[in-house]
Amino acid sequence: MSFLAQRPMPYCRGCGHGLVARRLDEALGRLGLDPKRVVLTTDIGCVGLVDPLFPALHTVHTIHGRSTAVAAGAVLADALCAEGGLTNVVMLGDGGATIGLLHLTQAALMNVDLTVLLHNNMLYGMTGGQHSALTPEGFRTSTTLAGNWLPALDLEQVLRGCHGGFYARQLATDRELAGVIAEAIAYPGFALVEILELCTGFGVPLNALDGKALRAAAAAEGRALGVRIRRTDRHPYHALYRERFPVRAEAPPPAPAAPAGPFAHRLARPLGVVVAGSAGERVQTAAAVLAQAAVLSGLHCVQKNDYPVTVGSGFSLSEVKLAPAPILYTGIDAPDAVLLVSADGLREVRGRGDLDRQAPDGVVIVDESLAGELPPGRALAAPLRRALPADAAALGAVALLVARTGLLAREALLAAVDAIGGKDAGALRAAVETGAALGA
Amino acid sequence: MTARADIRLRSGNQMVVEGALRAGCRFFSGYPITPASEIYREMTQRLQARGDVAVGAPDEISALCYCIGASQRGVKALTATSGPGWALMIEAFQYALMTETPLVVALVQRLGPSTGGATQSAQGDVLLAECAVSGGYTVPVFAPSTPGECFALTVQAFNWAEALRTPVVLLSDKDVAMTYEAVDLGALPDVPVWTRQSPPFAPVGGPRKVTLTGSAHNKDGWLRKNDPETLDVLRQLEAKVAARAAELALLTEDLDAGAGTVVVSYGVTARAAREAVRAARAAGRRVSFVGLQTLFPVPADALRAAVGGARRVVVAEENLGGLYRRVLAGALPGVELCGVNKLGGMIRPAEILEAL
Ligand code: SF4
Repeated sequence: MSFLAQRPMPYCRGCGHGLVARRLDEALGRLGLDPKRVVLTTDIGCVGLVDPLFPALHTVHTIHGRSTAVAAGAVLADALCAEGGLTNVVMLGDGGATIGLLHLTQAALMNVDLTVLLHNNMLYGMTGGQHSALTPEGFRTSTTLAGNWLPALDLEQVLRGCHGGFYARQLATDRELAGVIAEAIAYPGFALVEILELCTGFGVPLNALDGKALRAAAAAEGRALGVRIRRTDRHPYHALYRERFPVRAEAPPPAPAAPAGPFAHRLARPLGVVVAGSAGERVQTAAAVLAQAAVLSGLHCVQKNDYPVTVGSGFSLSEVKLAPAPILYTGIDAPDAVLLVSADGLREVRGRGDLDRQAPDGVVIVDESLAGELPPGRALAAPLRRALPADAAALGAVALLVARTGLLAREALLAAVDAIGGKDAGALRAAVETGAALGA
Repeated sequence: MTARADIRLRSGNQMVVEGALRAGCRFFSGYPITPASEIYREMTQRLQARGDVAVGAPDEISALCYCIGASQRGVKALTATSGPGWALMIEAFQYALMTETPLVVALVQRLGPSTGGATQSAQGDVLLAECAVSGGYTVPVFAPSTPGECFALTVQAFNWAEALRTPVVLLSDKDVAMTYEAVDLGALPDVPVWTRQSPPFAPVGGPRKVTLTGSAHNKDGWLRKNDPETLDVLRQLEAKVAARAAELALLTEDLDAGAGTVVVSYGVTARAAREAVRAARAAGRRVSFVGLQTLFPVPADALRAAVGGARRVVVAEENLGGLYRRVLAGALPGVELCGVNKLGGMIRPAEILEAL
C-alpha cells in the first residue's frame, strides 16, 4: 500500500529528498498505519515541498526550524488530552536542524514520541546553497567557496548528550533506509534519522560529489552509518507524565476560611500602609496577614510586593491599601503608615520617597535600631527585633500599628494568621500578641 | 461590602489562571519571565493536578510552538510571557494566525525596551501586540484592569480565539498581574464558554484529513502563488475578525451625557483614570470615563457613541507618546485628543486630574 501521490517529485533531478519520500512511504506501508492517525510535520526548505506528495496523511507545514516543537505539542496533546497513538513524522533539513537545534535536543531529552527525518544535504538548498552547522569541513558551499573551515556538528554526539533513545545515520541511497525509518517510527520515544544526501542543485556542482564520495566523506569524518543509538531504558515523555500526573478530578479549593468575621473596623477612608524590611524576614507574610485581616473585617484591600531581582538579598517591601469602599487606583501616593524593621527597608523607603510624601499626621513605626536614623519625634521606635525573631518583626510591627490605631480588631489579625499561616501559624500568632503588647 | 464566605486575595495572574481553567484550557507551556511567571507556576500546578498538560519549554519559541501543536490537535492552549519573550514568539504567532490556530497568549507588560525593568510597570507593548503580524491583520487584544476582569477577559479571549479561529492576546501589565486584591471567588462573572466545533475545526489526527501551512495557500490549505483564491484566503483572515468587531467591543463606561471631556484608559491606568473622573466630578466638572477592555479590533463605534458630543478625549496610558492615542486619532475625527503619559511607574489620579 502506498500513500505517495502519483505526481512528479517537486525536487531537482537527482535530489535526495525524493528518495527519502519513497523510503518513508515504504516504511509507512510496512507498519500498516492508518493514514488518519499519521501527521507529517514539515519544515521550511526544499524538504517542505513534500506535503502534497502524501495527500492521505495530515500535513502540517510549519515555520523554519520549529517543526519539531509544533509536532511535540501535537503529540503531547494527543497522548495526554485525546485518544493517543498519533504518529508524527517531522521532515526537516540541515538548515532547520541548525536554527531549530534546541527543539531537537529538548524533544530528545523529554523523549517525546515522534520521529525526525533529518535530510542532511550539508547546505541550505532553497536559498542558494549556503553552509549550515552540518556542513562538513572542506565542503564547498556558496558561502564557503574555498571549503568550509569549521567541522560539522555531530548530531550523534548531540543525541548522546541528550540521552536520545534512537539515532540512525544512513545515506538516502541506502537500501536499508526504509527499514530504519520504520524502526524509528515504531520506536516508543524520540527517534532521529539523519539521512546524508546530495543537493544536485548546489552541493554536486560545487563539490563534484557522487553517492560513493558521500559515503567516503562520511567515513572520513568518522561518521559511521547504521542505527547508532537504540536504548530500551527510556520511557516516552507522555508515559512518565501520566504516571506522575494521573487523570483525576481537581480537588476543590480548600474551603473558605471559617466565617470568622466580620470583625469590627474603624476605617472611614482608604488607608495606605508600607511595610519594609530585609529579604527573607517575612515582610510579605506580615503584609498578607494585614490584608487578610482587612478582608475578614469586611474591607476592600490590595497588596503589592516589591523586591530586588535577587529575591533572597536586600530589601523586601509590601504595600497594603485598605478601604471601606471598592479600591480603584491601587497605588499609595502618601502612605498613612510606614513600618520599617531593618536598615534595608529604611534605605528602600528613602529611595522611594515614602517618608517625604507622608501626610503630617502619618505614622512611622521603626525598630529601635533605626530610631537614630530619623529626626527626633518622627517615628515611634519599638524593640521589635529584640522582642521577636528577625522574621517576625514585620508582623510585630503590623500588630503594633493595629493596636496603636485601633483600626482593626486584634482577633482579625489572629484569624488571618490562622487562615494563611499554615504550619507557622503558632509563631505568627505569637508575633501578633507580642506586637500588640508593644503597642498597648 | 460585607465579609462574604469566599473572599480571597488573588492576583491578576492568578485570575488569568482561573479564567483559563474555566474556559476549558487543558494545555499550557511557558518559559519563566517576570511578571508572567506566576501564571506558568500556577497553571503547572493546576493542570498537573488533574492530569492535563503543563510543560516547561526551553525558550518562548518552543512554548508557543508546543501550544500551536496542541491546539491543532484540538486542545485549548495558553502560554504566558512578557515583552522580551513576546519578541521571540512573534514568528510563531504569525504562523498561528496564518494557520487559523486558536490559542491565547497572556502578555504581561513590563518596562522596556529590551530587558528593561522586570518588576516595573508599563503599558508599552500595546502596538507590539497588535502589529505583531505582517500585513495589517487584526489581532484581538483584551486588556484587563482588575483581577475580576483578568478572569472574565481570559474566558472571552479563549472564546474569541475559538470563534474566530485565531490567536488572541490577553494584554495585562505588571501592576494588574502582580497586585493581590480581595476577590469574591463565589461571585465570579458567569461568562459562557464557547467550545470548539469540528467541523469547522478539524483537528490533525482526526478522521478528516487536515492540511495546514504557514505559506500563502488556497482554500484547501495548499501552497499557491499568484492565485486569486490565495488572496481571498488572506482577506478572509481579516474579514472574519472585522465582521464581528461590534461583538468584540467590551467597554466599561461611566458616562455623563453632558460631559465636555472623556477620559479613556485601559489596564491598570483605567483604575486611576476612573478615580480621577470621580474626583473631577466631586469638584463640579462634567467628565465621562471609558475603560477599554477590548483594545483591538478598535471599538471605534462604541467609543464614538460614548464620546457623544464631548470635544476633548484624554487618553491615559503608561508609555511614551501615547501608543493607543495614536490609534484613536483616526477613530475619533473632530475630537481634540490629549494624552497623559508616564514612564516607569503607575500614573496617579492626580496626574490625570491635572489634564482635565
Ligand atoms: S536545490 Fe538542492 S535540495 Fe533543493 S530540490 Fe534542488 S537538489 Fe534538492
